[in-house]
Amino acid sequence: MKEGRSLRADIHSFESLAALDGEGIRYCVFFTGCPLRCACCHNPDTWFKSGREYGSDELCRKISRYKPYFKNGGGVTFSGGEPLLNAGFINETGALLKSEGINYALDTSGSVSLTNEVMTAVDNADMVLLDVKFPNAAMYKKYTNGDFDVFLRFADYISETRKRVWFRTVVIPGINDTERDIREYAQLVSRQNKPERYELLAFHTMGFYKYDKLNIKNPLTGTPPMDKEKLNRLQNYLNGLI
Amino acid sequence: MNAWRGFKKGAWTDGVNVRDFINLNFTPYDGDGGFLSGMTERTKSASERVKKLLIAENEKGGVLDVDTERVSSLLAYEPGYIKKGEDIILGLQTDTPLKRAVNPFAGYRNAVQACEAYGYKISPEITREFEYRTTHNTGVFRVYTDTMRKARHAGILTGLPDAYARGRIIGDYRRVALYGMDYLIKQKEADKAMVGERDHDMTEETIRLLEDIAKQLEFMQRLKQMAADYGCDISRPAENTYEAIQWLYFGYLGAIKEQNGAANSIGRISVFIDIYAERDIAEGTLTEAEAQELIDDLVLKLRLVRHLRTPEYNDLFAGDPVWVTCSLGGVSTDGRSMVTKTCFRFLQTLYNLGPSAEPNLTVLWSNSLPKGFKDFCAQVSIDTDSIQYENDDVMRDMYGDDYAIACCVSAMKVGKQMQYFGARCNLAKVLLMALNGGRDEKFGDQIAPEGKVFDEKPLDYDEVIEAYKKYASWMANLYVKTMNVIHYMHDKYAYERLMMSLHDTDVERLMAFGISGMSVLTDSLSAIKYARVTPVKDERGIITDFITEGDFPKYGNDDDRVDDIAKWVVDFFYHELCKTKAYRGARHTLSILTITSNVMYGKKTGSTPDGRKAGEPFAPGANPMHGRDSEGALASLNSVAKLDYACCRDGISNTFSVTPETLGHTDEDRVGTLTTMLDGYFAQNAHHLNVNVLNRQKLIDAMNDPTLYPSLTIRVSGYAVNFNKLTREKQEEVISRTFHEKM
Repeated sequence: MKEGRSLRADIHSFESLAALDGEGIRYCVFFTGCPLRCACCHNPDTWFKSGREYGSDELCRKISRYKPYFKNGGGVTFSGGEPLLNAGFINETGALLKSEGINYALDTSGSVSLTNEVMTAVDNADMVLLDVKFPNAAMYKKYTNGDFDVFLRFADYISETRKRVWFRTVVIPGINDTERDIREYAQLVSRQNKPERYELLAFHTMGFYKYDKLNIKNPLTGTPPMDKEKLNRLQNYLNGLI
Repeated sequence: MNAWRGFKKGAWTDGVNVRDFINLNFTPYDGDGGFLSGMTERTKSASERVKKLLIAENEKGGVLDVDTERVSSLLAYEPGYIKKGEDIILGLQTDTPLKRAVNPFAGYRNAVQACEAYGYKISPEITREFEYRTTHNTGVFRVYTDTMRKARHAGILTGLPDAYARGRIIGDYRRVALYGMDYLIKQKEADKAMVGERDHDMTEETIRLLEDIAKQLEFMQRLKQMAADYGCDISRPAENTYEAIQWLYFGYLGAIKEQNGAANSIGRISVFIDIYAERDIAEGTLTEAEAQELIDDLVLKLRLVRHLRTPEYNDLFAGDPVWVTCSLGGVSTDGRSMVTKTCFRFLQTLYNLGPSAEPNLTVLWSNSLPKGFKDFCAQVSIDTDSIQYENDDVMRDMYGDDYAIACCVSAMKVGKQMQYFGARCNLAKVLLMALNGGRDEKFGDQIAPEGKVFDEKPLDYDEVIEAYKKYASWMANLYVKTMNVIHYMHDKYAYERLMMSLHDTDVERLMAFGISGMSVLTDSLSAIKYARVTPVKDERGIITDFITEGDFPKYGNDDDRVDDIAKWVVDFFYHELCKTKAYRGARHTLSILTITSNVMYGKKTGSTPDGRKAGEPFAPGANPMHGRDSEGALASLNSVAKLDYACCRDGISNTFSVTPETLGHTDEDRVGTLTTMLDGYFAQNAHHLNVNVLNRQKLIDAMNDPTLYPSLTIRVSGYAVNFNKLTREKQEEVISRTFHEKM
């Protein structure tokens, strides 16, 4: 399938200063395409191709420009969309990055099948930021249209391979913002190795305009942003459980 | 008492050589800020007093009082105090705090207008006196050619120091402390004798220098008298830390009583003061709390420095700045960190006395500075937005290890180099002039020699470049000639007698040119090259608008296709400037710095091919245009970092605003991100960065209700301002600037 370094991927955008998506300063690459349709998605514009394709060596050259900032564990974070839909491309780019001494992290929903390519991409990642979308099959289906079992198999693989991992969950008012919900998340992740961090992220409405622009129905229209103080309380509660 | 006890002797003991003194005697400090002291009770009381004065000044519309009876000079006023008995570091510009002096030497009309703007009238005595006196301003306008006047009127050359004093000269005030005035006077007298003998032909240049030295000597005597009026004998060297600070402050105070130039920078004093502090602490005569108290009190005095300005001046330089720039940190040429405890003490004043625009604390950043200092600086930036960073690793190569920053980004060797400040040339207008065959797009005047007016057909890049080169070259020549006129007259009628007395007699002169509209010009050229740009003419046949179709690479995204254009623009103009000889053998330098005048430059400039409409603000300094950097903060920094400091030795200013949340969740993460970012930026030989860590919402709230954040300080192009002192228009412009934020 592979012929030298020839793979290309469709990329939505770049963020050159991302300090929250992994260790140190991260250069974020947002791929397009996602198997999920999360109700709370704030980047629905990444669901569709942008038409901006990059080759792996072209992308690597672009990323290398930021090497001076990658001290203290910094590097690239492949995000999206779902980056692992481009696992082959990531493997190719990752190898090039490695020769430049640049690490990469994966910011993934884990809703992808464990193909050899996906496993290689995970194995070579410095760390994984794993979105724990919802804690049970019913909610997972309802709010992401995804298959909970696929996610569980991915999470188990992370755990078995003792990958460095941060869990992250977006907390949405009226959907998963009670202590009961948090307990269920804690229970779910208790079967995994303890993550380095488990961050609760506040649902915000700053991506709402994108739904209008794309003419897609926004399933959470009218939902308020998550209250920061309440989120802090839930975070503390979660910290006590795991 | 022996003033030099305990100091290691060297070349500095045989002649004036402060750098040698510092290099032999400073003690690097590698730790963190844990040793620092808070305010003493006395400092608290003094600080409260100053706060009240500042509120009163603000309530009176920005000027508390003006002395209209006297002309500012070293001995014009009786000694002034914030509170006699409580002040430690003595000396005010006039007899009471925040009372502004009248200083008409650079321009009489300006002084009159400044008084009138605030409801004051200059006394009949001063009026009579200046009827018979030529000011710098009068001299310049006697000589200006028609073309110079036209270029000035159209706003192609703007902000020129032809009606106000030039500033930017830094006296080596440390000399007063280290040697005492008697020694310095003796040295100057010897210089004068030597200069008088060495020129076989007694040329005009030598005569001028001899007269300069005579003027310097006169003011050196006056400085002694000024200090004596405060009860201090500065004829002898300072004997302890307090005297070292007091002596050097007297030198500075004398300079700003005499001169009201735009920037009044104080130099690189922290490492110097620290040598005295280390000695006194070792001798048991000074405690940490006392050392901090001395720095706090000096800084309080520096926060009171004021000049009387016209409203037009404030349009250029918003927020009533005086640029008491104070350079901290850096590395010596033999590789030792020059971070001392006193560098920390200066930064600590932002906690003790609260955030402030002045003094303009400037950290000379090097990748090899100790981590404790880097982290402390980053924390101070996050907490106060009051400091700027400049790359010692690039400046040290050109200026050694005893340079300081004047104004915002202008480096010079302290006491060895001076600068002829030259405001800036609007390069975006030069492009429009080139397309219009030498006519100004606003007024329609034929300013430059007549050339081809481009048709209303898609522009051809190569043709545009040819025309631009022709007009930029013509402009550069006119710019140098204009500057030569200005500085000839300034030397003649408003010579900085005291500041120059604290320089070597054979001083090296830099002539500092500047450009504005760099990013507008760059993106415009990129649009012409990569998109389709069609000029639109008005009824006069002048191109006043453009239809730009298609996308084009924009400066600020780390894209070489356009960043190379930016590099070329700067490089080309600099080399064109160098083709015209500068007055008094000065060496040409160039800055990309607009201060807050980017708003005013924008107003004076028609629509440009990059899509910017007539009247819209430029980006400040070397910043990419607002909202055009789409790949985040570091891409933007990488673009600016490509500009070559070798052609911009007067500085490349870049202002960066980021929300705290973008830098990290915790303080520790934010400090880590910021220091890593600064290291990464400067490792690419970038020159300067202003750092603001704040929320856009906070600024909007402050704009709508100024009482919410009375001391809200933000960094703009090369300096800090109190946000509440900006006009609404400038506040809006600051808010519209790119904030790097993580959603």
